[in-house]
Amino acid sequence: MSGYILSKDNLPKFITEIMGKNKVFAPVEVNDETYFKEIKNPKDINMKYDNSKLPPKSLLFCQTETLFKFTPGTKVKIQPPDINNSKKAIFGIRPCDAKSFFIIDPVFKEDFEDPFYVTRRDNMLLVGLSCTNPYPNCFCTSFNDSPASSKHVDILLTDIGEKYFVEVNSEKGKKIVKSSLFKPATKADETKKKEVEKKAVNSITRFQKIDKIDEKLDKIFENHFWKEIADKCLRCGTCTYLCPTCHCFDIQDESTMIEGGRVRIWDTCMIPEYTLQASGYNPRPTRANRVRNRVYHKYNYYPKNLDVIACVGCGRCIEGCPVNIDIIDVVTRAGEVKP
Amino acid sequence: MVDEKTLRDAVKKTVGRKDVKYVVGYDKGTTGFQAAPTFAYEEKDAEKFVFNPTCVNNLAVYPMLEDKPPLRKGEEPDTRKIGIVLKGCDSRAIVQIIQEKGLKREDVVIIGIPCTGVIDPKKLKVKFPGQHKSVEVKYDNDKFAVTVDGKTQKFSKDELMPEKCKECEYPTPIIHDILIGKEIKGVKKPDYKEIEGFEKKSLDDKWKNWEKEFDKCIRCYACRQACPMCYCKECMVEILDPQWVRRSVNLSENTAWNLLRAFHLAGRCISCGECERSCPMDIPLMKLNKKITKDIHEMFDYKAGVDAEAKPLLAMFKPDDPEEFIL
Repeated sequence: MSGYILSKDNLPKFITEIMGKNKVFAPVEVNDETYFKEIKNPKDINMKYDNSKLPPKSLLFCQTETLFKFTPGTKVKIQPPDINNSKKAIFGIRPCDAKSFFIIDPVFKEDFEDPFYVTRRDNMLLVGLSCTNPYPNCFCTSFNDSPASSKHVDILLTDIGEKYFVEVNSEKGKKIVKSSLFKPATKADETKKKEVEKKAVNSITRFQKIDKIDEKLDKIFENHFWKEIADKCLRCGTCTYLCPTCHCFDIQDESTMIEGGRVRIWDTCMIPEYTLQASGYNPRPTRANRVRNRVYHKYNYYPKNLDVIACVGCGRCIEGCPVNIDIIDVVTRAGEVKP
Repeated sequence: MVDEKTLRDAVKKTVGRKDVKYVVGYDKGTTGFQAAPTFAYEEKDAEKFVFNPTCVNNLAVYPMLEDKPPLRKGEEPDTRKIGIVLKGCDSRAIVQIIQEKGLKREDVVIIGIPCTGVIDPKKLKVKFPGQHKSVEVKYDNDKFAVTVDGKTQKFSKDELMPEKCKECEYPTPIIHDILIGKEIKGVKKPDYKEIEGFEKKSLDDKWKNWEKEFDKCIRCYACRQACPMCYCKECMVEILDPQWVRRSVNLSENTAWNLLRAFHLAGRCISCGECERSCPMDIPLMKLNKKITKDIHEMFDYKAGVDAEAKPLLAMFKPDDPEEFIL
């Protein structure tokens, strides 16, 4: 690991440098909660946030996206979308949230290329910020990830006291550290980073047992367990909308007499309408079907198809669920169910 | 103070009945400052049941949430009763649903809990930020005793209770089949000071305030789902033709959703606060509900969910009903 050092005094200058070339989104505190918002002043950033209320997913995959506009009627005119290719940066993204982009990339990049997502992704710079004070329901270490991993960001800052230890992980990152604000790190700085990382890892107290979980789930699809888990589900969409890796969407035409647009909006597999067919038949008629589907999608279908579990351990669904459906507990117990 | 042994015995007795499907109550949950809804399908499941100040959820939502998948050929519908553990405020929801003929009184077996107030999990979270291995909240006479990581601290109830408990009129369930402990008389009255203060603001200020709140909405519909009174088979936001509310998530559609939700609860909201508690974006939805409750109380002298025999507000007419708001 060859690292750099950025002194805390130089942080605002560094952010201003990025702001010169990019629109910068960063964690901002509003009424005790942190949200990713566009910043105009480096001072607005909350560098000590626990976890943002919403994941930064919507900066790439918007909750509402107008695919194209049209004029309704017999002489339909279609106006293609204006895909914004301006440079953007997410400053202070957590390693777990950065991993979520890596997880949903294949959905928008592989079989079908989604120009909206891909354009934004290619023009997005990720400046990570190590998580030194994990949340009570954080469990990224269950996936062998670290709260201070630079794997999915361009550069990663880790707070090591009076300065930041900086790791570079991409060509984009290499360009950034050419700035005179960065100095080469010493062995002592590197050791300090490892200590900080170890402390953060040790402060994570919750673990999910995911050993061979995809195989185990294969055997309990029809088990009564899913009904027991789902009996308390309210079938709201909170877990899916707070999830950094949930990526389902619905497409609708919305129009007035004179103008219209085809919009893509986030969808949630927790509501019956998600699978309701035009005939009136619903292949997932109960909450047990739906809760099971969400777990299987993340812990069985995804690992089978893409070799990665589609959960990053951010704990947002646990915090947000009004009835305490706890994904750590659900998956761990699912692994223990006798087929 | 609710004796948990008496509660568990009552749950055991109820779930043991042949005509009862299951009993819904609370267990201690897996994390944080909140008990979780739990189900007893057989007598031994009663052991996990608890009642303490973290039992905030309104379980009256569950009978209406039951999945009713189409029956297979020859299959009979399960008409057995549902047992529910209910606090005073929660029981008003069942009363209101019975009044609206959503449920019959005999569909449910109510295990009533005379409640001295619960905590607001959001208020506790502010007091104890960060990591906690274990959290326990108990009633301690007129205080809450909060034990976090082995250390106990006492808090006055007003400090940790949600607003609804501070002005609770019905601490004892209005209807019940079994009551755990002694009845508690309601002595508090609704307090509309905050609403009156808000009413006095300029139209512009009020709009700006709600604009800020509705802008946060992510349309997860947790408010609707947690609400025991939101039990329409098809919610108006799900109807595509005509599409009353668009799926696009923006200020205009969010405002439409949030105002429609509040209006559809006019004369029906029983002030349990579940919408606001469930909202992941912390939108103060009870402020809207409370304004409507206040207006209805002042204009029609009507309270939702207190008399199962009464007619729903919007289904009755009195010659002296005020009508100055009719255009």
